[in-house]
Amino acid sequence: MKPRIPFFLLLATALVTNVLASASLREDVKPLVDAACMACHNGVAIAPLDMAKLGYDLTDSDTYHSWERIYERIVRGEMPPAGIPLPGDEIVDKALSSLKSALTEQNLKQRNGKRVPLRRLTQLEYAYTLHDLLGISERDSLELSSTLPAEAATIGFNTIAANQGISALHVKSYLEVANKALDKVLLYGSPPPSVTHKIDYSKSDYLAFAAYGKILGFGIVKRLSDAYVAFFDGGSTYMFHSATEGYQVPHAGWYKVSVDVYPYQAKSPVTLTVYRGRKAGIVASLDDLIGVFDLTSPQVAEVTTYLVPGDLIGVSVADLQAPPGPYVDYYHPDRNVMFYKGEGIAFKSLSFEGPLYETWPPTGTQQLLKGMAFDEEGQVILTKEPYEHVVEIVGEFATRAFRRPLRDGEAEMYASLAEPLIAENRPFLDVVRLPLRAILSAPTFLYLSSDETTDEQYILATRLSYFLWRSMPDDELIELAAAGKLSDPDVLTSQVERLLDDPKAQRFIKDFAGQAFRLYELKATTPDAGLYPEYDDRLGQAIGQETEMFLAELVEENHCVDKLVDADFTFVNRRLAEHYGFNGVEGQQMRRVAIPDDSPRGGLITQASVHKVTANGTITSPVPRGNYVLENILGTPVPPPPPGIAGLEPDTRGTTTIREMLTAHRNEPVCAGCHQTIDPPGFALESFDPIGGFRDKYRISGPKYEYEGAFYPGPYQQGPEVDPSGVTSQGKSFADINEYKDVLKLQVDQIARHFVTQLFAFATGAEVQFADQDKVEYVLERVAADEYPVRNMIHEVVQSDLFTMR
Amino acid sequence: MRHPLNRRTFLKSSGVVLALPMLELSNPALASNTTSQTKRLVSICATLGLYSPSWFPTTTGYDYEPSEYLTLLDSYRNQYTVLSGLGHEEQTGRQPHNSEITWLTAARRPGMDGFRNTISVDQVVAKSLGYTTRYPSIVLGTVSEQSQSYTHNGVMVPAETSPSAVFKKMFLQGTPEEIKREVQSLQEGGSILDHLKEQTTSLQKSASSVDRIKLEQYFDAVRTAENDLFEAGAWLHRPKPKVEMAIPEDLTDPAELIGRIKLMFALIPLILETDSSRIISMMIQDHSVVPNVPGATHDLHNLSHHGQDPAKIAQLRTVENEIVRSFGELLEGLSTTSDASGSLLDQTTVIFGSNLGNANSHDTRHLPILLAGGGYSHGQHVEFEGEHDTPLSNLFVSVLQWMGVETDNFGQSTGSLIWS
Repeated sequence: MKPRIPFFLLLATALVTNVLASASLREDVKPLVDAACMACHNGVAIAPLDMAKLGYDLTDSDTYHSWERIYERIVRGEMPPAGIPLPGDEIVDKALSSLKSALTEQNLKQRNGKRVPLRRLTQLEYAYTLHDLLGISERDSLELSSTLPAEAATIGFNTIAANQGISALHVKSYLEVANKALDKVLLYGSPPPSVTHKIDYSKSDYLAFAAYGKILGFGIVKRLSDAYVAFFDGGSTYMFHSATEGYQVPHAGWYKVSVDVYPYQAKSPVTLTVYRGRKAGIVASLDDLIGVFDLTSPQVAEVTTYLVPGDLIGVSVADLQAPPGPYVDYYHPDRNVMFYKGEGIAFKSLSFEGPLYETWPPTGTQQLLKGMAFDEEGQVILTKEPYEHVVEIVGEFATRAFRRPLRDGEAEMYASLAEPLIAENRPFLDVVRLPLRAILSAPTFLYLSSDETTDEQYILATRLSYFLWRSMPDDELIELAAAGKLSDPDVLTSQVERLLDDPKAQRFIKDFAGQAFRLYELKATTPDAGLYPEYDDRLGQAIGQETEMFLAELVEENHCVDKLVDADFTFVNRRLAEHYGFNGVEGQQMRRVAIPDDSPRGGLITQASVHKVTANGTITSPVPRGNYVLENILGTPVPPPPPGIAGLEPDTRGTTTIREMLTAHRNEPVCAGCHQTIDPPGFALESFDPIGGFRDKYRISGPKYEYEGAFYPGPYQQGPEVDPSGVTSQGKSFADINEYKDVLKLQVDQIARHFVTQLFAFATGAEVQFADQDKVEYVLERVAADEYPVRNMIHEVVQSDLFTMR
Repeated sequence: MRHPLNRRTFLKSSGVVLALPMLELSNPALASNTTSQTKRLVSICATLGLYSPSWFPTTTGYDYEPSEYLTLLDSYRNQYTVLSGLGHEEQTGRQPHNSEITWLTAARRPGMDGFRNTISVDQVVAKSLGYTTRYPSIVLGTVSEQSQSYTHNGVMVPAETSPSAVFKKMFLQGTPEEIKREVQSLQEGGSILDHLKEQTTSLQKSASSVDRIKLEQYFDAVRTAENDLFEAGAWLHRPKPKVEMAIPEDLTDPAELIGRIKLMFALIPLILETDSSRIISMMIQDHSVVPNVPGATHDLHNLSHHGQDPAKIAQLRTVENEIVRSFGELLEGLSTTSDASGSLLDQTTVIFGSNLGNANSHDTRHLPILLAGGGYSHGQHVEFEGEHDTPLSNLFVSVLQWMGVETDNFGQSTGSLIWS
């Protein structure tokens, strides 16, 4: 037994240690502070940090964070500012090395031997894990998991254990979701008949009503002998969709959907869009765009999609040319759809074939019910005692779910839950469900590496697959872990290659882009329809895809990280190409294109997705955009504004520009310190409007017009000119976004540092802290000579011992 | 089980003096005359609007001249307040009727890509009451599962559309087999949770101190979940209340819009009186067919887009007259049922109205809203004036406070709703 030391004595010892440590730190650091900092940071001058008041006791968390930031700013050369000389090297070196070891020591002490606290599966990881574990469709998994409590919207990744909470609601939701997921695997019943159902539009009463009824003036579709023609997208939530036409999806499953169409009055390719949605109230919600087809001739467009009862398929039109004139032509009693000359699509029929399946019971069911036999109808047959079946199924399932071999008796422990049900003679699929539900809500399942005694190899397999696949390790990873080979650097390299080449790596791209580059916020605002009438969901979808495909390409082709700032290629379809002013792109498929020489595009920061997430839909401001560059690209955020500072209130009437307002703001000394850093990148990005269109002038709102007592925006007008020039806080001036990119590229080391830091945080579930920074620097050293290729950086992150550190 | 800590008591005992929101007392008109009685909430939404010129009175105050529709309710005039000038902001969603899913939540831009609904006002109260009653809340619809009740994470609570099924759930004892199955399901949940607690305890033994904290949080979560299951389960063993009414016969024809509304309206006082639940929300939905109302030749959605056609407006008014008249029957049902602490209506806050101010143009501003019962001081037409609507959320804040939920905000609220 350990000798007991009285608490007060422990406390006293700790205090004495702190005092001694802070005294020696002070001795080493104060000469530098006196020489280089006190002229401004003296509490009298305007600099917000008062170093006269700042103590040296790092056990105080505020003090620790102040010194951490001071250290970083000195090392990065941001402080002292130009014009204030540093004292001699000896003083600087001594101060910095003393500060570094004191900060490291305190950081390690504070985290108490554990870098990453228990980290829970995120909602998304839970979904993908269900999908991979049970073999249920990705859509079902995502839908079921969406009923779990949402992840807290904190700054940083939702994988960070410190940000994650758990409540009774989580637990109840896990039980519920597990039950419903198991329904999909266990209640498979007899094989559903695969049938074909055809909706013949020419016989539709609803469309007849839409063609001749006075809905908003006059008919909105045109009747032909064999089809109905749609000329605009607005009616798609009411018309043509399968629910309006009386088709109900009979069983969940994969269906082949065919749309028989032909272009009508078309002078160019017209676009057919196919949506999957649900009928909510009066009209359909067309949630997912599942197919886009460019039509030049009659075509039967086919999409295979997973449908569940309650789903509907909607079809609509896009990219149609309208003749010049009032754009509400269809509503007009005199100039109605019968005489309309613009482009349209004639819809003949919509057919469903399904559900389609290869085996019965479904593969996932057969895999789960290991050791059982099935009769001709697909129903289970016991081949031994029920409890023995339960143990076998549970053993197999728990091994995969827990991502490690089971301990002695662990399978039996879960299986024992089924015993009372066996005694009650309950149906076998009810019996086995109980332990399976328990496994899917167990701490060993929900928390990654919750078990201290788990072998390092399995921890590595789990971290790796959750990093790059957002889901559980597959058989190959587990086998390598079991053989003790995974940690071998060469094996690890080839596994990272394999994981990145797998389609599941898309999940990493999506989730990382969603959080690190804020792509998840892409749909958070809706562009003002009056100012940006060209924006629609298809453009919104294309700009998100552009960024995801661009990032995927950086990984796939091992491009240098400075491509985030400047690149000579990107991904567009016709819609986005038009938006960017690129010529010669036909069709709705996204594809890689070279950036034309005269275009300001190239690099993540010139992509519309970034411009949209940093605008509010109506207006842009250099402040959030400058912050985006600082936080998301460079990783050098500035502190938030002091409390009580109101945000700017720009208007779209065109009297003053946001830049003029900011200039006034920057003349306030309190604001100037940070805003001279924040605003310049934002100024360069002012050339892009809220939807990422390039602009020389701001758009201002036109006069509103009234219809039926409600007001609608009139056409926008051109306002003041955009001034995209600026001078960075390091004194580098630029005329526009192209010149600013060159300025930013000079900071490629910092861009790479931030990128690696983000990868570590995302992958390990803990922020990179002060004590971890040497590991980051080591990774950077290894890739600096090759100018920071992205795929290599991922490899180096995985090879680092910070990656597996618990 | 932990005792809920009363916020006022806590602040008093910790010696902190704060300006607490004055709760219901901040609005004299909402000062309830009794404090100990059971409090209930019913919300009813006519999702296709109520023709404004027939709904809104042209004069305000206590002596307002009742409008065409309000004349139908005028015998209860002193039991309700007509509120105008209320609305939610940013309700233009992907399509204009999407505002029907945010009437009780006030979430912005409903149905747009990436939209996630927020908790509805009825579910806030249901959550705070928990299993005080057999069902924390009842959600009703006239034709489809769609509802206006959403949980905290934006998940819709599906509406029940069959009056007979609702009646059965409330008042008919299940067969022994049904009860057995429900008990089984709860027992299974309980045994899983019990098992998880053991697992957690064994993990804690080998865990580092940092992880032990995380595991403790998990353990607490499991224990609380177990408690909730236990409370729900306790109701299974208590007999359901007996009522005199016979089980209603469902009307399967969707043209029976009014008939279906009336069947549900007849059940509401029973549910409240038997204290089977205290929270009811009901959505009068679009039936997409011509309703069985003499004189109507178009479906209600079509009629609501009357385009100022006098013939259509006349039909619209005919159908809406029936809806409002049915609501009058609900008020009657609530006011004629009473217990020791007064009539059911006095104990029940009733919100009746629509998510559309002008269905013809899909305008979501200036909503028709009527606040009845609850023992408030009633009898006026109160008009909130100003360039923008006063947040309907402010009314919800007042209602939440009256229901005993200690909060001073909801949705788009800027405070509680105040008039004199």
